[in-house]
Amino acid sequence: MPINRRKFIQQSALTGGALLTSSIIGKAFGETNSSKDTLTILHTNDVHSRLDPFPMDGSKNAGLGGVAARSTIIQQIRQETDNVLLLDAGDIFQGTPYFNIYKGEPEIKAMSLMGYDACTMGNHDFDAGIENFATQLKHANFPVLLCNYDFTNTPMEGKSVPYKIFQKGNIKVGVFGVGIEMKGLVPDNLYGNTIYKDPIECANTTVDFLKRHGCDMIICLSHLGDKYDDNKVSDEILAKETYHIDLILGGHTHRFFPEPKKYLNKNSGDTLVNQVGWAGLQLGRLDYNFDGKKKKNLLKANVVLIGGKIGK
Amino acid sequence: MRILLLIILSCIFFLPQNTSAQKITVTYSGYPIDPNIRKDSSMLSFLSSYRDSVIKSMGAVIGFSTTGLSKHQPESGLGNFMTDALKTIGEQVFGQHIDAAFVNYGGVRSYLPKGNITVGNIFELMPFDNVLVLQKVKGDSLLSFLNHIADKNGWPVSGITLAIKEKKAANILIGGKPLSTDSVYTIANSDYIANGGDDTNMLKVFPQEKKGYLIRDALITYVKLLTEEGKPIDAKIEKRIVYADQ
Repeated sequence: MPINRRKFIQQSALTGGALLTSSIIGKAFGETNSSKDTLTILHTNDVHSRLDPFPMDGSKNAGLGGVAARSTIIQQIRQETDNVLLLDAGDIFQGTPYFNIYKGEPEIKAMSLMGYDACTMGNHDFDAGIENFATQLKHANFPVLLCNYDFTNTPMEGKSVPYKIFQKGNIKVGVFGVGIEMKGLVPDNLYGNTIYKDPIECANTTVDFLKRHGCDMIICLSHLGDKYDDNKVSDEILAKETYHIDLILGGHTHRFFPEPKKYLNKNSGDTLVNQVGWAGLQLGRLDYNFDGKKKKNLLKANVVLIGGKIGK
Repeated sequence: MRILLLIILSCIFFLPQNTSAQKITVTYSGYPIDPNIRKDSSMLSFLSSYRDSVIKSMGAVIGFSTTGLSKHQPESGLGNFMTDALKTIGEQVFGQHIDAAFVNYGGVRSYLPKGNITVGNIFELMPFDNVLVLQKVKGDSLLSFLNHIADKNGWPVSGITLAIKEKKAANILIGGKPLSTDSVYTIANSDYIANGGDDTNMLKVFPQEKKGYLIRDALITYVKLLTEEGKPIDAKIEKRIVYADQ
């Protein structure tokens, strides 16, 4: 099976002000960013209906967030970089009056306008009931990915898919989703007959399928939560107990990771986990650089070096 | 010793494998979405019709805070405001004495700003459509609920004081009197907690009194009540829950 050889390419330094200018990473990097062998992953999680920035009321997050500013940044990055994937790790709904009044319609429409490529679902996406969730997804022009809920005989049947494969330049990316156990977390009547299945088992099955279909990189959108004091299944456990996941984009626990965390997976390769807090206060970005030369018979395990912070 | 040798040997065997593995380098960033970023005008116009009706229904000013209130553990002014609201308004709505009221810490979803308090602020603080539930619980079950609260580093409470000692509740006073495991207490919670949410299974067995009255409505009514009395929304920390070893 041909596998891309991933190569380290150091991002050049940028000044902090670069964000506010027309250039975020800049055409100055030339081939690096217009190459067919780079992948830029943008991600959010737990946006919780925060369509507008936090109000200017002197509180900690006053003026931060909002889809109008996020949309600008996404557009700028898309202009400057060829291969972009924009992903969300669930809990799109609940948290501002927009949701109480409109039950998720503007949230999903805004994500469609921003060009999200895929999302997974969080427990709060069921807050106005499973039927409402299915109804609001009519406004989505992107798939909802989830491999461990069985929605048979529920309004969500056929409304989500386990994975999607994206061809970005030379890179074939498999993206799939895992969801948290809703019993005890979500009132029973809101998720109805949804059956929760073991996320580790489902992830391994899905990942195995994606690898056999030639994916160079595998991304998991997870709403399990990054880690817990007890042995409740989390992104940390998922990373350690699965094969071949390159990157887990997490949510639920609302943590701002200062940098991605790295775990050794079952294949003795590295799996990264990242999470960007909540409320759309941040847009996460991870740039992967690949070498175009395909080499056969190399070990499948990926060793990841976490390079510099973009913009530092 | 044998185990140590095994570990060293495994490392030697694994090392060459890793050196020949695929090497990837990843650069990362979390862009703060700050107010200086230009707003996408098409997104703003998309939002405007939704926003107008949100402001119309949520913009009404119902109170005032001179301090602003935010959530903290083991105790916070915001949590005290919320649980006092459930106890005070709950007693009016149900027409009976309530010994203690609770809010799970994870259920406190926002803050109250300094200055005007709007209906929208309360919706953000309590976005869920949970209803107020009364339960008459035996003292021993209440104790296990309070131990759970202590284990979770303190939830907002009204009508009770306690100390957290080695993750358990100690020095418990209810209405100023020590908890008696044989007494029956009337407690107020959201239906989420009364139904065992946030790992509160000890409450599930007790019958529930419900009137379909939303927690959020209790908060709104309490803000209006304080405002009518000329009081700001400035609940203070009163040592309802303390760490025993501090």
